[in-house]
Amino acid sequence: MKVAKKILGVAVGALLLGSVPAMAETIKVGIIGPFSGPFALQGKNFQAGVEAYMALNGKSVKGHEIEVIYRDLPAANPAQSRALAQELIVKDKVQYLGGVYFTPDAMAITPLLKQANTPLVIFNAATSAIMTQSPFVVRTSFTTAQTTTPLGKIAVERGVKKVISAVSDYGPGVDAENAFKKAFEAAGGKVVEAVRMPLNTTDFSPIMQRVRDSGAEAVFAFLPSGPTTLGFVKAYNETGLKQAGIKFFAPGDLTQESDLPALGDAALGLLTTFHYSVSHDSPENKRFVEAATKAIGSVEQLSFPAVGAFDGMHVIYKMIEATDGKQDAQKAVDAVKGMAWTSPRGPVSIDAETRHITENIYLREVAKGPDGKTYNKEIQTFPNQKDPGLATQ
Amino acid sequence: MQTALSIAIDAFAYGMALFIICIGLSLTMGLMRVVNLAHGAFAMIAGYIASYAARDLGLGYAVAIFLAIIGTIVISIPLERLLYRRIYGSPELTQVLMTIGITFCVIGITNYFFGPTLKTIPLPGSLTQPVDVGFRTIAGHRLFVVACGLVVAGGLWFLIERTSFGIKLRATVDNAAMADALGVRTQVVYAISFAIAIGLAALGGVVGAEFLPIEPYYALRYMVTFLVVVSVGGAGSILGAVVACLLLGAVDTTGRYLMPEFGNFFFYAAVIAIVCVFPRGFFGRAQ
Amino acid sequence: MQVAAQTPEIATSSSAGYRWARDAVGVTLILAAGLAGYWLFPDNLALLTRVIAVALLVLSIDLVTGYGGVATLGQAALFGAGAYAAGIACVNGVTEPLTLILIGAVAGAVAGLFMGTIMLRAHGLAQLVLSIAIVQLFHEAANKASAYTGGSDGLAGLMVSPLFGAFEFDLWGRTAYLFGLALLIVVFASLRFIVSSPFGMLCRGIKEDPVRIRAMGAFVFPVLLKMFVISGAVAGIGGALAAISTQVVGLDSVSFELSANALVMLVLGGLGTLYGALVGTVIFMGFEHVVSAINPFHWMTMVGALLIGVVLAAPGGLSGLLDRMSGISRRRKEKRT
Repeated sequence: MKVAKKILGVAVGALLLGSVPAMAETIKVGIIGPFSGPFALQGKNFQAGVEAYMALNGKSVKGHEIEVIYRDLPAANPAQSRALAQELIVKDKVQYLGGVYFTPDAMAITPLLKQANTPLVIFNAATSAIMTQSPFVVRTSFTTAQTTTPLGKIAVERGVKKVISAVSDYGPGVDAENAFKKAFEAAGGKVVEAVRMPLNTTDFSPIMQRVRDSGAEAVFAFLPSGPTTLGFVKAYNETGLKQAGIKFFAPGDLTQESDLPALGDAALGLLTTFHYSVSHDSPENKRFVEAATKAIGSVEQLSFPAVGAFDGMHVIYKMIEATDGKQDAQKAVDAVKGMAWTSPRGPVSIDAETRHITENIYLREVAKGPDGKTYNKEIQTFPNQKDPGLATQ
Repeated sequence: MQTALSIAIDAFAYGMALFIICIGLSLTMGLMRVVNLAHGAFAMIAGYIASYAARDLGLGYAVAIFLAIIGTIVISIPLERLLYRRIYGSPELTQVLMTIGITFCVIGITNYFFGPTLKTIPLPGSLTQPVDVGFRTIAGHRLFVVACGLVVAGGLWFLIERTSFGIKLRATVDNAAMADALGVRTQVVYAISFAIAIGLAALGGVVGAEFLPIEPYYALRYMVTFLVVVSVGGAGSILGAVVACLLLGAVDTTGRYLMPEFGNFFFYAAVIAIVCVFPRGFFGRAQ
Repeated sequence: MQVAAQTPEIATSSSAGYRWARDAVGVTLILAAGLAGYWLFPDNLALLTRVIAVALLVLSIDLVTGYGGVATLGQAALFGAGAYAAGIACVNGVTEPLTLILIGAVAGAVAGLFMGTIMLRAHGLAQLVLSIAIVQLFHEAANKASAYTGGSDGLAGLMVSPLFGAFEFDLWGRTAYLFGLALLIVVFASLRFIVSSPFGMLCRGIKEDPVRIRAMGAFVFPVLLKMFVISGAVAGIGGALAAISTQVVGLDSVSFELSANALVMLVLGGLGTLYGALVGTVIFMGFEHVVSAINPFHWMTMVGALLIGVVLAAPGGLSGLLDRMSGISRRRKEKRT
């Protein structure tokens, strides 16, 4: 009797609300990320962010159970990306796609979204152009141009007039070089030389020699995380550039928290701009770091993709709430346009026009904490930065 | 001039680091005829052991190197007995299949136990100091690598050319059946040479970690570089490996200084040119 | 011993007919397997299409390695040439799928001509290293020419028009899969024809003993170069198929990793039979897919264990294992009769 009453109640309630929920169905979310291979750490961070969000906010929305399916895409491989997305959509019947670390992988998924009636929430892939490929893409990470642009002003403010830029020779590196050059020269500085380095280099002494020969007062760098970053920062110290007073500016990818233990004291004093630091001081972040650390195992492994995933899940939860479990990509995406909330990284919102996240960019300096470990210390905030890459298009 | 000298020093140090890691592979490929693509995996295992010993246990650098070499050889013994012994004399492609399989397993297992982050091997203070060499400073560690490289090259040359073990080894390589018949215990010779090669990989992995940082993907990331160096030098030749490492190190380093945009073009164009002129490598054994 | 010596003669007397029959059965089996895949896994067609594209690449390696004796770790250069040629043509307005495949094949063949010319100058390990150097150069060139190739961001926005004006390349990937399957069958049948032609036999001879072939008065270089060009066309078709079905071409299609994986698949399946190439590809990619779906974090260890296991259990590759098993059963039957 009681049960029948309850069901009746739910049915009536649903009728009153004007929509019949798909009877507490399980809603599946497919997450594609690099869970193995050289970028496995970033994939682990995706997972940690997702699990942290679900641990803090429950595993269901409006009575709809949420099930997350992870699929591994170890390196940039559009063909595999498309195959995984297709399988998730057609076979596993996911209603939402999330994750995606590399730009080409995202590009391979976007043509499917319309037909699949599925929104894609990007947790990382940081090229501006992805957003223009499909109206069903929302991004909760950053773009390289977005995190880099404030550096131009900062460099000039710190009395630097001549900079040599040294970036890895691939898409994001070139994006960073262009964004910095534009911002820095707009602020009155001059990029005296722009060096593009082979992606697989780990010995950077010859580059440092070039930096020295160029007569620049500072070096702007962008490299992929891991061995390359380590090699670059080490060479910067060992060749005496640091002692010679040549400043070091970079987007925060270079000093991401998971690389800091390996960089050690060599990283002290590096200035980077980024949208998130694990050390960010706010109650939201404290809760997030605690939950994500539990999910990933050790706080040393935690870095920015986790917060992209955390906020990505927030967006997906809001989409589910808005559509009440029904598959409707347009309605879902419309519901989060212009949405604002407080993320672990600070106040953020989804830009209604570009569907890309608007967020604070922080200037950080690598400093030593009381426990002897190095961390990114936020020293200046640039509020509500949009993606300049999209704005100019 | 100063710049040129400075580049030359960097190139020399980088070349020597490559040499220490690659010479072990050159020996396995040239003397034992095994295309051991898992060579980098052993260097990586050593790096992890050294990192664990020096960073987590706080042992000294020298102790860490020693433990890494011993530990890696110990790990390699069952692998040699169970797996490598089956592929001595197999077609090259079968060896490739087996050793890539081993590499995958090592990567997967390391990732599982040690996590995907970079591991550093803390250097003693004396090696981290920049040393002033007159016209510039150079990291003390680089000089240490150069010294290690010279010692390894000299030691190996002495071992192979001047000791009775070297004679047995060369005899086994030239004609295993005949050597066996003459009373050389070829199985033992193979086992010892394998251990030496692994030990050198381990040494190279630890000492070269400043150039090629230790992380789980190490084994695959640098596999191509190692293979290229060995074949350019000529498998099995110590002198060849030295020349190849120095030359390729120089091409790579100067290329990166002069035209970093085309760094990889320089390197691989040089490889193609060298291989076309010296199809057996600089000092490869004629077969 | 005498019996063993006689068997090949007996085989050759009926060999032409037998071979045709065997090839007909083989092609029918592939077709049947392909259609079975279509019915059994209607939700995984994008994966299956990817398998077909890679299978074409592996087949192309089998041509030069299994038949010509030239080991290569750089075949993705040819695959990528086909993929990028088709991709660039498509972005610039050539959207008809068959034309794109043709463009891919031609680009692959040209790249094969280039690669063969360089690689055939060396032997053994040096040759292997040349192939690596070439694929790295191609990779670097594709990265550099980002104005045309999109660089590391990938070449996106390929709008392929419907096949024969009627069948769209859509989300479910039915068109792409059946199109790929048809391509595979046509290519496979042509390759069976080529490898059993006098030209194919000559290649095999060169693989076994180039000195003798030279002594016979045949030129080794042009024969192998021809094989390289054919192989390039096959790899190029695979690349073009991948480009059409994915609608994005990434740098991974000219990578050393892809080349190495493809060679591993070939050795896994067995060299020099063409069937081995297909078996190896299906098993490797299927295994990888299943294991990485079960545990996305540790599939690499499992794949490694599979490779080691295959070397220990079947050094000649999986198709060699089949041959051996059928050989044993045949011998048993012969004993009984």
